[in-house]
Amino acid sequence: MKSLQRGITLLLASVSGAAVAAMPDGAQRNFVACPIVRDTASVPCWLAEYEGELYFLTLQTDVSAPVNPPMLGHKVLVEGRRTDKPRICGGIVLEPVRLSVLPTLDANCNQLLPAEAQYNLTFEPPRPPGPSKGRLAFNTLDVQQAEVAPQRVEKHFSIGYDFEGRVGFKHPALLQPVLDYALAIKATSIDIEGHRGAALLSDGTILNESPQLAQRRAQQVAELLQGAGLIGPRYTVRWIDAATAPNGSDDSPQRRVDITVKP
Amino acid sequence: MKLLVTLVWGLLCTVAVQVMAAEDDVLAPPHALYPAPKVTLRWINPGETGGLAAEGSYDNNQGQLGVLNAGGAVTATGHPFFAPLGSNGRACISCHQPQDAMSLSLDSIRRQWQVTQGQDPIFAAVDGANCPHLPQQDPASHSLLLDRGLFRVFLPWPPRDAAGKAIEPEFSIEVVRDPTGCNLHPQHGLHSAQPMVSVYRRPRPAANLKYPTHQNFGVSSFIGKNGLPTARDPDTGKPTSMNLMADARAPSLRAQAADAAATHLQRLAPLTKAQLDAIVAFEGQIYVAQQIDRQAGSLIEPNGPTAFGPRALLKGEAGVLGNNTSRWVFPMEGKWTTLSRGNGAAQDARNAARESIARGHDVFMFRTFWIRDSMHLNSVGLGNPTKRTCATCHGMHMTGMDTANGWMDIGSTNLPWAREAPLNPWTTQKPEMPLFKLTCRNDIAPHPFLGRVIYTQDPGRALISGRCNDIGTIVMQQLRALSARAPYFSNGSAHSLRDVVDFYDRRYNIGYSELEKQDLANFLGAL
Repeated sequence: MKSLQRGITLLLASVSGAAVAAMPDGAQRNFVACPIVRDTASVPCWLAEYEGELYFLTLQTDVSAPVNPPMLGHKVLVEGRRTDKPRICGGIVLEPVRLSVLPTLDANCNQLLPAEAQYNLTFEPPRPPGPSKGRLAFNTLDVQQAEVAPQRVEKHFSIGYDFEGRVGFKHPALLQPVLDYALAIKATSIDIEGHRGAALLSDGTILNESPQLAQRRAQQVAELLQGAGLIGPRYTVRWIDAATAPNGSDDSPQRRVDITVKP
Repeated sequence: MKLLVTLVWGLLCTVAVQVMAAEDDVLAPPHALYPAPKVTLRWINPGETGGLAAEGSYDNNQGQLGVLNAGGAVTATGHPFFAPLGSNGRACISCHQPQDAMSLSLDSIRRQWQVTQGQDPIFAAVDGANCPHLPQQDPASHSLLLDRGLFRVFLPWPPRDAAGKAIEPEFSIEVVRDPTGCNLHPQHGLHSAQPMVSVYRRPRPAANLKYPTHQNFGVSSFIGKNGLPTARDPDTGKPTSMNLMADARAPSLRAQAADAAATHLQRLAPLTKAQLDAIVAFEGQIYVAQQIDRQAGSLIEPNGPTAFGPRALLKGEAGVLGNNTSRWVFPMEGKWTTLSRGNGAAQDARNAARESIARGHDVFMFRTFWIRDSMHLNSVGLGNPTKRTCATCHGMHMTGMDTANGWMDIGSTNLPWAREAPLNPWTTQKPEMPLFKLTCRNDIAPHPFLGRVIYTQDPGRALISGRCNDIGTIVMQQLRALSARAPYFSNGSAHSLRDVVDFYDRRYNIGYSELEKQDLANFLGAL
């Protein structure tokens, strides 16, 4: 907060209402577990066990992947929907799936399984474990080009986070369009509103993100935009400290910072 | 025993220097098949007349280095790169010698100690000694420079931002071990009136610099690995690649030169614009690479692989991701994979060496292993561990640097992987490097691989950013002209390229075969 420039207005909003614990719908699988790596003849699979079932989380690809693998040494929060697609690496496919590496180190999460013939991939992975053919595996991280001479209108952006997450390697692709647009329209005002979320697990447990995380997220985004050279506009930074009640199916979008760029 | 070795080594070195002088500095060609041009080993002193020719060749243990001065011959007289601009007699050239690929090899450092009896400006107390307060005539006071090629880098604590304002660090720092006496010294140390942390690092090559300063893939307003704002060039306002120096503290070559003048050269006044212009222009026109391999012969024959030699670096496109089979990190075009035999022992030996280099390239590009617990690699969406290859991190076309902001923790300075002296009742070996204990604050997430308490010989980038996740991260450097500038890693902990390969083999439990190790070291030596 100290690094924010003068003129920034801090507003603390609050919302009332307690989280109502309800069970996620039948296809939803939300759980915390140690991730498991299974080697294959090409790229490794990432898996996790929950209530006696093995779930496929994702493959190793590259930084552009919409879903990035978790980390051994940490538990992972899995928020996904069970599908009937053919199993991959022995695991039930969750899709869509959101993975959040939990910050606390856990030495028990250390399972790296060797390749076995029956778990070879039946398809070509988006990229091999070594050199690619010359491009990123996915295009989702391509930074959007700012419009040429965009209309000077108010525009809204939303920056999403992993559970308990702050800004990381995914965020340049999300922050760059904000910066580009604000510079292009010579924005006079930037409103930033931070949120924290909660996750309803399949067993009914509710995980809440840390208190003050909404504030930290909002302040950090302001600092990052200013640090990237967006020092002209007036910043209004606020946060909603209470987490929205989770429902188990669309909890992850609550973990966000909303940004409004005004001409 | 160490004293005896030092004396014998010193005697041999003196004899060698005398022999070189007697032969007008001319060394024999490194091999018979491809006789090297007449080459010289020549130390350039600050303020010397002469300069740097458009092309130069310098022998080294692995063969021969080529230096391409692409802008044409430069006269040293009055040139700020060659002139002693500060108060201690040093110039830029002092630590960026052409014979050492515009860096400084341990061999050259030791030779200068012998030749000048320790009076060369590179041994200046400010950073050429373990600490300024030590008796400067004693080689033990310069042990890190003489044993590992390390200069003292003293950085303010807490860190400062670009405007000089103190940053509130995410961790506290304690000195656990202070073999140089500098970090606990009342005038120079962490608890002095102007608190400083002294770390010890190798000088980097002032050559091939269009690559570490590129404006291409991976350079944007936000750092690709952590989302924080990218440092901007104070002159142009543009985001930089943040790949200069071990800790990326200088955003541009001009900033680096200004910093070096104030610290290494102990210059009291800022460099003038004209001086900075001349230094940066000169640095930008120098390309270095190995051009002859002792076993494999010429690396720059027509129709050979296009990866080798300084001209390849001049021609190469900067800031291109080469971890792919379209641009390649080091383009070999599949050459030298299978060469003929039966053309005589010398030719057969040459071809065998070339095949080894080609195999080493394939180890570099295609030999997978599990990369684990490496900050800013395993934390950027690849998973931990990730099954990848050397080229995953060393991915920039022609240099093997990181195209994006390249600081990473491979364990070269952080425990438990950093090389430490074994302590036991049967050895007299003593730790040479300082050791720090860094404790990350409770109100931030712990380091994802090392937790909250981290022991390190050099906090690296964290001494600039103040961030827990940056502890022990070092900007990876270019993999060119390695044969001319041993030892390796920022802390000089690998005395040979084989040491480098062995470190990785241990660190990542790769399980290289002996042949893979030899091939990879030969490949690196040819770059």
